[in-house]
Amino acid sequence: MYARFGGAEHKVESARGVISRAARESGDLRGKFLLAAGVTTAATLLRLAGPLVVRFGVDEGVTADDRGVVTWSAVAFFVLLSLQYVAGRAALRSVAGVGEQFLRRLRERVFRHMLSLDVGFFGRNKTGVLVSRMTSDVEALTKFVDEGAVQVITSVLMVTGVSVAMFIVDVRMALVILALLPFLLAASLVFRRYADRAYQRVREHIGQVLATVQEGISGVRVVQAYTQQTEQAEDFGQVNEKYYEANLAAARAISTYFPAVDLLRTTGLALILLVGGRRVLDGTLSFGSLFAFMLYLSWFFEPILNLSNVYNLMQAAIAALDKLFGLLDTETDVPAADDPSPMDSTEGRITMEAVRFGYDPAIPVIKRLDLEVAPGERVAVVGETGAGKSTVAKLAVRFHDPDDGRVKLDGVDLRCIDTDDLRQHIVLVPQEGFLFSGSLSDNLRYADPDLDDAALWEVCRQIGIADWVASLEDGIDTEVRERGSRLSSGERQLVALGRALVADPAVIVLDEATSNLDPEKEQAVEVALGTLLEGRTAIVIAHRLATADRADRVVVMADGEVVEVGPPSELVAAGGAYAELHRVWEASANGR
Amino acid sequence: MGDVAGPEPGAIGLGLRFIARVVRRYPRETTLSILAALVWMAMVIAGPYLTALVVDRAITEEQPDLLLPLVGLVLLAGVARALGIGGRRYFAFRLSYRAETDLRNRIFEHIQRLAFSFHDRTSTGELMARASTDLSQFRIVLAMLPITVANLALLVAVSTVLIVMDPLLGTVTALAIPALLLVARRYAGQVLSISFEVQQSLADMSTDVEEAVSGIRVVKSYGQEEQEVARVGATADRIFDRAMQLIGQRAIHVPLFEALPAIATGLVLLIGGLRVIDGVLTLGQFVAFTEYMVVLNFPLRITGFFLAELPRASAAAVRIRDLLSTAPEISDPERPEPMPKGRGRLCFEGVSFSYPDGPSVLDGFDLAMEPGKSVALVGPTGSGKSTVAYLLPRFYDPTAGSIRLDGTDIRELALEDLRSAVAVAFEEPFLFSATVRENIAFGAPDATHEQVRLAARLASADAFILDLPDGYDTTVGERGFSLSGGQRQRIALARAVLRDPRVLVLDDAMSSVDATTEQEIRESLATVMEGRTTIIIAHRPATLALADEVVFLDAGRVAAVGPHERLLAEVPRYAEVLAETVGEVV
Repeated sequence: MYARFGGAEHKVESARGVISRAARESGDLRGKFLLAAGVTTAATLLRLAGPLVVRFGVDEGVTADDRGVVTWSAVAFFVLLSLQYVAGRAALRSVAGVGEQFLRRLRERVFRHMLSLDVGFFGRNKTGVLVSRMTSDVEALTKFVDEGAVQVITSVLMVTGVSVAMFIVDVRMALVILALLPFLLAASLVFRRYADRAYQRVREHIGQVLATVQEGISGVRVVQAYTQQTEQAEDFGQVNEKYYEANLAAARAISTYFPAVDLLRTTGLALILLVGGRRVLDGTLSFGSLFAFMLYLSWFFEPILNLSNVYNLMQAAIAALDKLFGLLDTETDVPAADDPSPMDSTEGRITMEAVRFGYDPAIPVIKRLDLEVAPGERVAVVGETGAGKSTVAKLAVRFHDPDDGRVKLDGVDLRCIDTDDLRQHIVLVPQEGFLFSGSLSDNLRYADPDLDDAALWEVCRQIGIADWVASLEDGIDTEVRERGSRLSSGERQLVALGRALVADPAVIVLDEATSNLDPEKEQAVEVALGTLLEGRTAIVIAHRLATADRADRVVVMADGEVVEVGPPSELVAAGGAYAELHRVWEASANGR
Repeated sequence: MGDVAGPEPGAIGLGLRFIARVVRRYPRETTLSILAALVWMAMVIAGPYLTALVVDRAITEEQPDLLLPLVGLVLLAGVARALGIGGRRYFAFRLSYRAETDLRNRIFEHIQRLAFSFHDRTSTGELMARASTDLSQFRIVLAMLPITVANLALLVAVSTVLIVMDPLLGTVTALAIPALLLVARRYAGQVLSISFEVQQSLADMSTDVEEAVSGIRVVKSYGQEEQEVARVGATADRIFDRAMQLIGQRAIHVPLFEALPAIATGLVLLIGGLRVIDGVLTLGQFVAFTEYMVVLNFPLRITGFFLAELPRASAAAVRIRDLLSTAPEISDPERPEPMPKGRGRLCFEGVSFSYPDGPSVLDGFDLAMEPGKSVALVGPTGSGKSTVAYLLPRFYDPTAGSIRLDGTDIRELALEDLRSAVAVAFEEPFLFSATVRENIAFGAPDATHEQVRLAARLASADAFILDLPDGYDTTVGERGFSLSGGQRQRIALARAVLRDPRVLVLDDAMSSVDATTEQEIRESLATVMEGRTTIIIAHRPATLALADEVVFLDAGRVAAVGPHERLLAEVPRYAEVLAETVGEVV
């Protein structure tokens, strides 16, 4: 079975494969885990010793009329109990503690790996899915680590230990109880197969229910505008009903399995009483042994029931771990250079040589591109939707590598430049100013968290936001909220430009906003943009006439190829493709 | 995640009443599950008693003949017990899932009916929490209800049996019951408050990751991956700390759950053993005491858990109840007028509107439109253009004034009638995770494929749709193929056109469409607008030119009316507002 994850084929591993990989990758935690397992074993052994003490007390004390033995075995039992408690506590703490440490590291590792992947990966995968890797998937593991892991270890140890103890007490009686084992295993296997399918369906359906609710809420305005409330509710009712049925199927499995196991336990009790009772009457079995077997019986079944209870947790954890490993196995499309050439400074010359690129290599978006941008030059790339403009921007900052040809900075292939150096010299500024939650200061200092206040205010002045920032109640410490939602679109843009100015790169690649911003700030944004681009090499992906006209040269693209290059005024005069674009723009602007 | 509020003490009564009301709706499941639970309970009590009988009558009194029939009784009780467990579990699950499913349907239906103003002030996350975490909280308690009823009966019965069998030993061992309950409650309380903090940190984690992923281009542009890793790492540390606290609590309490019944076993050995020697207690009773302690272990734990869950569940129940009892601010009139005949005559009279605790948006807006005419609304940001579009289909009601459609006040009409007569194409269109065809036919599910294609052609969408992987059957939306803003707007436009409304409102509906395509749409729109009343909200002069007249809005009222050219020449403020947006293209 193959699951497609972000374009990379990831083989869904068997449960054993996933577990052994987790063990391989736990590094120094392995030692701690072994220690924790040791403590758990000790705790289990202490628990198993309890019935032995009780048996001694009953046989040598109660039935032998010896008050001293009764008293002393009771005292011994209480001492054992205290030890049991201490050991049980240590076992829980150590096993779950190791697990949590493992998860803490896994979380960081997964996130670091995610961020190291190419931008294309983020386009292929829905944000919600990536977020769920870091939240619900890790949570599924946490649940197992906290509630399941100790159970699994203890239960397995208990079943083994109780079996051994029973054989020590009386072989024939032990065989009687163990005769139930095949039935128990058969019932568990059937249950497992059925429950696997049932829970699988429950998981699928809950996903659909939540997605439908989510959509019903986000789309409620459209639903009401087209008065489709009843239809929507009916559709949802069907999805919801399927989820109910899936749950009921799982409930049916549980409601059959657990009573069946309980009946087996009673059968065991009956067998002990019948066979054991006869032997006590024969004098071949002590009453204390019979009594101990009754205690062992419940200890034999309880762990098996516990295992069934944590089975679902375990399945979910393995599925989650498998998804996380799948993400960790995804490789980036833009690998770091093996032997990067250091580049402390740059003059900012960008060269694109015979570049060919397609998100799917079979369908090239850029068929051929040759372009040289001189240091300090401003080049605007224009063209209709789908002409490949934005792809040029992504190639220039190495969000993608070309399938053919080269993109160079100062004559060095971008693939050979150290990533940190590259990011320092070339910055992409998407004009829809994306801000992170945090303060204005955090956002402006993004590229240089150590920038001092004086320098920060200087940037604000240069970008023309110093007065506005100063007028805010919390000034530079104003929280911008999630994605900068407290600010207007124009304000966000200005802050984003300030952030770029702080980075102070030699080359700026600007992807102009397609949608309209608040007109009040439009002028301010124009001025700030001028300041930012001053003296830098700039590749501007232009959606506006004015922006393109201000460039030193314009590159007109159509269908993945350059159709015209030259200074804007010359191109307009030449009457080619750019002149035609100009005509459409002006017609639109003048209402003709 | 959403907002999971902590338990509110005052709400418990209210929540319990709501839970009781829901339970009463499923008498069959409730009765059967409680009955089954009581059978199970009776057998739980009978079990050790029967075992004692075997030990005393058959073994101690050495009557081998009694062994088989008595053991048969034990087995019979075991069968009844198994049936009780199965029935209890099945019907309890059924009760809880049925109630959850029905409530979720009601919540969904209700959310669909609540007006725009409600959705403006309520976040998606909050409503999601009602339909997911709150409901499952509620369900857990319902599922546990039958077993809890039986458990409480069991606890009382077993204590009575123990005390009757041997008052001294009975009292001593019965003390384990309140002790365990107390520990269980305390533990659950601790876990609750810590896991509440864990939920908060998880919500932070999800925000952190969401932000880094959505802003990945910024992160990468500035090479700040490590800064993001550090941010997430700090949140992960908080989660880790809480998790370790949780483990600490678990490590203290869970072994106690095992130790407390064991202490009772030890006491039975000590006191019971001595009393057997003294001849006060039989050996069989001694065995029964031990068995009862084992038997009680599980019910005690479950009851403790139930008691701890109850406050949280009733808080969830109160939140669900509150949502369901929120009345829609806009609904059908009691006796709706029949839809008047006409072709879309519109009349706004002294319409004023302001959002709750916001400044006034419209302030005495007057506009009369003849059927089949079109106007363009122009105005600076915040002048109330979009509000006009929202008032017409009654997404909001005006705070003063009235709107008439073909002579009838729109508040007198059934919403269904009104909204099928008025279609709005929004600036930020919402596409459902469904096929393109289903999205276009959203307001007219019975439309034929030809009608859908015609609407798409009128919106200049047909060509790009045919280029999609599966054409009209391509799934789009959040879980489907990503479309550009302009493409989404064109689908939304087709959706509005297909409705064939008397009044068509285009609320900046082509703002993301590039200039060449818009020109195409303009040409086909002329056909669409024929014979219907159209209101166009737009910035681009070429789009404005589609309308017969321009209505210039300023500060919530009509400042000027007339053809574009005349306003441009005569109203300086109009030219000014337009100039701000000229030069913006593609």
